[in-house]
Amino acid sequence: MIRLVRGEFLKLRTTQVWFWLLLATAAVSALLIVAQLAPADGVRSAADVPNMFASSSEPYVLVFVLGVLGVTTEFRYQTITPTVLQTPSRWAIVGAKMITYALVGIAYALVAVAIQMAMAVPWLAAKGVHVDFGNGDVIRALAAVFGVVALFGIVGLGVGALLRNQIVAVVVGIVFLLVIQNVLVAIPGVKNVFPYTPGGAADAMLLTNVGPTDFNGVTLLAPLGGVIVLLLWAFVPAVVGAAYSMNRDIT
Amino acid sequence: MRAVDQLSFSVEPGTVTGFLGPNGAGKTTTLRILLGLVHPTGGWATIGGRPYRQLEAPARAVGASLESSSFHPGRTARNHLRIMCTVAGLPDQRADAVLELVGLRDDARRKVRGYSLGMRQRLGLAQALLGDPAVLILDEPANGLDPDGIRWLRGFLRMLADQGRTVLISSHQLAEIEAVANHVVILNRGRLVRSGSLAELTAGTDRVLVRSPAAGALGEALARAGAQVVGAGGGTLQVRGMTTDQVGHLAFQAGIELHELAGRRSDLEELFFALTAAGPPPATPPPGYQAPEVAR
Repeated sequence: MIRLVRGEFLKLRTTQVWFWLLLATAAVSALLIVAQLAPADGVRSAADVPNMFASSSEPYVLVFVLGVLGVTTEFRYQTITPTVLQTPSRWAIVGAKMITYALVGIAYALVAVAIQMAMAVPWLAAKGVHVDFGNGDVIRALAAVFGVVALFGIVGLGVGALLRNQIVAVVVGIVFLLVIQNVLVAIPGVKNVFPYTPGGAADAMLLTNVGPTDFNGVTLLAPLGGVIVLLLWAFVPAVVGAAYSMNRDIT
Repeated sequence: MRAVDQLSFSVEPGTVTGFLGPNGAGKTTTLRILLGLVHPTGGWATIGGRPYRQLEAPARAVGASLESSSFHPGRTARNHLRIMCTVAGLPDQRADAVLELVGLRDDARRKVRGYSLGMRQRLGLAQALLGDPAVLILDEPANGLDPDGIRWLRGFLRMLADQGRTVLISSHQLAEIEAVANHVVILNRGRLVRSGSLAELTAGTDRVLVRSPAAGALGEALARAGAQVVGAGGGTLQVRGMTTDQVGHLAFQAGIELHELAGRRSDLEELFFALTAAGPPPATPPPGYQAPEVAR
């Protein structure tokens, strides 16, 4: 399994997509800090700091895409053929990719958090707000960022393994995460589904001190509930993909 | 839709077996079933008695290069092989060694995007050889090679066979198979048409062509002497069961004038055409079908 994971990392490193998505992650992280600190009604007190750091998780969409590409690129360029010839077990292939993309998610989260800290800490100091890294809420928010981004790497991988088709998987994934989830919140009745979407579960993990009114009256799950729901979103597609889709004929 | 159908054959260790059939005969599908990439609805395929997917270290037992060159265009040849080395637990030097072997050393660090079809074929071969397997399965390895490349491939395959490897090579190019294979399996429309050694398959098919103004009399004389004679038109006869010497001698004795006398060795190509030509008649359009007008 260690060899397989190392092989997956080498696959990622020997193409360019990881670099561009990392660059996008850095840019999004930096922009989010500017957007939260520049306005007069932005982050003003230490109480706002945990939620500010929770925004480090926003590049989760990019890590999701990276995970999707981790499987679908193999089908697009048919490198899946040498891959399965070398490792006939689809479980081993999907398992190695899950580990790899969870680790990649942690690395991307590290970059996002580092950039946000480097920008926000001196900026807030200039505003007279001290960032206390010993604060429980800050620590919890940062831990949640790593958990959420790592799990979204697996969510993407699972969706890729399930759908196999690169364009379909990327488009379906992005439309769901960026459009459908947000539309759900606005529809009366249906909006109660939101806590069980990947985004809703992630928010439950990240935003520990918001009231129900912040989500159009939808009550998020408890943080642990969010963890469980996001774990399901991560593992169910991957398991179904390994058991079914990945086993379909490769021609 | 029928994809392959009731094919059955085995490949002996230490031989080069040519897997022949016209395009669409089911060659690639058969090889993909053998490699566990496609599930047959019935039947089985094993390598050394075990299905591919149950082999211990498949890449070390079996090397395969399939028709579709399957490489990421943005990755270099060397990196493609390094990934496989990493997974197989081989040192990176093994990648360099096989690239050298197939003549890609100078292009090893170029992205596959810029490779010609022939170079991709060589990279496919390098990939197949990476684990130093005893069994090689190559689907149309001569596709896209220039004449130099084809000559190189012949020598290369012969070298692999001389090393005692079992090679199964598919092709629709008969000359390629004839040049390297000692066994031939011929497939047509999913069915095994013939299999055996090259010598067995072409034995007994030699014939003599003879042209004479008195073809009728000559034909009778030959038939009386025990040959099978078929008229080929234009005063030409096709004779089986006799050598050119015997035909010439008989004509001389009978006082029959000859204008042409030639021996024809039947080669694999003719055998192949003879075996695969007889298929169902071409599909006729259903009643009431009208060919669509072509817009101008």
